[in-house]
Amino acid sequence: MQAAECTWSQFEMLRPLCFKSPSLFSNFSKHSPFFRSNSRINRYPSFMATMSSVSTRNDPLSTPQITHQPLQVAKRLEKFKTTIFTQMSMLAIKHGAINLGQGFPNFDGPDFVKEAAIQAIKDGKNQYARGYGVPDFNNAIAARFKKDTGLVIDPEKEVTVTSGCTEAIAATMLGLINPGDEVILFAPFYDSYEATLSMAGAKIKCITLRPPDFAVPIDELNSAISKNTRAILINTPHNPTGKMFTREELNTIASLCIENDVLVFTDEVYDKLAFEMDHISLASLPGMYERTVTMNSLGKTFSLTGWKIGWAIAPPHLTWGVRQAHSFLTFATSTPMQWAATVALCAPDSYFEELKRDYMEKKAILVQGLKDVGFKVFPSSGTYFVVVDHTPFGLENDIAFCEYLIKEVGVVAIPTSVFYLNPEDGKNLVRFTFCKDEETLRSAVERMKEKLKKK
Amino acid sequence: MEEKLSSVAKTFTPSPIQELSHLAQRCNAINLAEGFPDFSAPPCIKQAAVSAINNDFNQYRHVQGICDQLALKMNKMHGLNIDPLTDIAICCGQTEAFAAAVFSIIDKGDEVLLFDPCYETYQGCIAMAGGIPVYVPLDPPHWTLDPEKLMSSFTSRTKAVVLNSPHNPTGKVFSREELEVIAECCRRWDCVAITDEVYEYITFDEQKHETIASLPGMQERTIITSSLSKTFSITGWRIGWAIAPASAASAIRNIHVKITDSAPAPFQEAALTALSSPTKYFETLRIEYQSKRDFCMKLLNSVGFRIQFKPQGSFFLFAELPKDCLLSDVEYVKELIKQAGVVVVPGHGFFHGKSGSDQPSDESFRHQKRYIRVAFCKSEATLCAAAQKFGELMNAKGSPKLHC
Repeated sequence: MQAAECTWSQFEMLRPLCFKSPSLFSNFSKHSPFFRSNSRINRYPSFMATMSSVSTRNDPLSTPQITHQPLQVAKRLEKFKTTIFTQMSMLAIKHGAINLGQGFPNFDGPDFVKEAAIQAIKDGKNQYARGYGVPDFNNAIAARFKKDTGLVIDPEKEVTVTSGCTEAIAATMLGLINPGDEVILFAPFYDSYEATLSMAGAKIKCITLRPPDFAVPIDELNSAISKNTRAILINTPHNPTGKMFTREELNTIASLCIENDVLVFTDEVYDKLAFEMDHISLASLPGMYERTVTMNSLGKTFSLTGWKIGWAIAPPHLTWGVRQAHSFLTFATSTPMQWAATVALCAPDSYFEELKRDYMEKKAILVQGLKDVGFKVFPSSGTYFVVVDHTPFGLENDIAFCEYLIKEVGVVAIPTSVFYLNPEDGKNLVRFTFCKDEETLRSAVERMKEKLKKK
Repeated sequence: MEEKLSSVAKTFTPSPIQELSHLAQRCNAINLAEGFPDFSAPPCIKQAAVSAINNDFNQYRHVQGICDQLALKMNKMHGLNIDPLTDIAICCGQTEAFAAAVFSIIDKGDEVLLFDPCYETYQGCIAMAGGIPVYVPLDPPHWTLDPEKLMSSFTSRTKAVVLNSPHNPTGKVFSREELEVIAECCRRWDCVAITDEVYEYITFDEQKHETIASLPGMQERTIITSSLSKTFSITGWRIGWAIAPASAASAIRNIHVKITDSAPAPFQEAALTALSSPTKYFETLRIEYQSKRDFCMKLLNSVGFRIQFKPQGSFFLFAELPKDCLLSDVEYVKELIKQAGVVVVPGHGFFHGKSGSDQPSDESFRHQKRYIRVAFCKSEATLCAAAQKFGELMNAKGSPKLHC
């Protein structure tokens, strides 16, 4: 049986929660999610007769029209369809295409981490973990953060473990954003940002990063940010472009945030895949820790994307909001995996060095291959993604190109228009990933060389 | 930075439960509070997870086989026809399934009925989606549903009813008659039922769990949520699901993808093994939990309790303090920790608002401070140790020593 850390996870649910301000919580659209007829059904006369003496609060029975509507969901949710990743993967399977689209490895995580998970399962660590994380894991996260940034944090008060970084993002948005709050996003962006901001009822202001170097347009940022801005979201190293925010860019963002009292949410899941420059956590800049939620996960660094282990690091007053939302979203995170993640985060430097070396070799194969094929390849400093301009091949837009690539060439890429508020901004670009074994990468390049012809 | 806090954040106060938890830890108390087992998960299911990890099922995935098996189960248990391709969303535990279900249908200002006493999380989810929780009290001592109270709680803003059966904390299993009353109200007011059926396989004395979705006119307006956790004693694996008509299930799935993206991959694989457990597994589960229930009842009766409501399901016993005990639930729990070294949960945290009368008086909700919840999802060793501790509470004359 686990030690004290799991003792009170149920208890935490009994904390008195004061929801006095409805504005904290997410606000969906104003549309009625249901088709509701105003008439009441009188189909069960005997029951109604029995109940006729009961007065109902507001609604008199009116004419007995039978309106029988199936359960309908909110019109606002029509936006959130099956993701492009799933669609492309399905198409890929159908055509036997090599998948360089979806961002997960086709090789597995390191044995020492898998063994730690197996040991945890065998040791009986299978019940609820403490809601905000297994204490040993919180400690390991704090230790890692200190090693990476120099910041000393309190694992008990400033670390929240979540089901992947995806949940850290959702919990941060839902826990800290009030309906109507203004939030700045950089496009292209990972698709869950827009969705969860929308669930939180935020007003999104988008700044587009443009090729060739996807640099932050400082003038645009200056005019976008104001005292009305609640938060800004930064993803570095950046998916899909591979851009890494430079020290100059981060300094500028930092001073604007301090000046306008803006919160920062950073998604740093690719921090260990920083190739062309050092990764910098915005929280480590002067005056920034107190206003930053730093999010990360296990999946990319340890090639275990399906384990769903992530975390958010923030000062106590921000952590509180994240933990509240998290407790209602998933309550607790997978226990055996947290124990394994504790071991993972203590991996020696050599693990991370080898990870980088491996990925840089893979990147070289793909990038050279894509150039040889005829794509215009944009420089990618980090992540395991690279974006390219597909227009030399004469397809109308990114989606058309990707479909062509799957069906006629047998390779999958992701159309980047889905990562923009305005899809037009992405129509010339597609994203390839190199988180695949070298043979797969070479085969994909061969197929493209053979079958993809410039127009 | 202070002014950045939401107004809700500023109202946060420390919890008496937290203080009790620290006291319990200091006293190294036997824990009959927490709602999860202290015995092992079934070996073959653990082995399935181990194999999955070894066989590289460690990247993002959706295991369709889970949906196929759930559809079969729902058909076998409840006679429901579920399409495994469209009607099911796999989530990180029932918690996430419920959260996604609420987000899929609750708009700001929508009212959601909850039966009181109830598990705390529902309210939090509903509020997070902008909804308004409305409590319908169940009547002690048998936690019966009064149709009048239910009907008078509906308004034009009522969107959904949350139904947790078997029920935490009381152990009640809603009867068919009660389900029919709730169903009729849902049909009449065109509302949705969101169910929490995590204890579906833990029912006693020939009681069978029925899902409200199997009643006429209900499948099209019910979202069922459940999980592996309680059935297979793996509360830490986070594998749950929502079953609903295709449009709702699709919305729930899309929301889930944005909240967590997918449930832990190796445990999804292991779920296939779990869900194909033979009938004998479920029978043994019931029998074992029933004997633990009986043991606990005997134990409490021996220290002055007179349990009026025998749990019909779940692994909780909701016991009213002995009549001659003048302590509140929190005080009793404190004394129990200090004098007997056993910890249970004070019941008042499960109650909300006033008990249904129009003229609430102290009397009418006095009972809210008179219950303790005892979890009997514990090994024999734990329960026996607890019994021994309780035994020490009795003095030489055979009367309870615990000062009340």
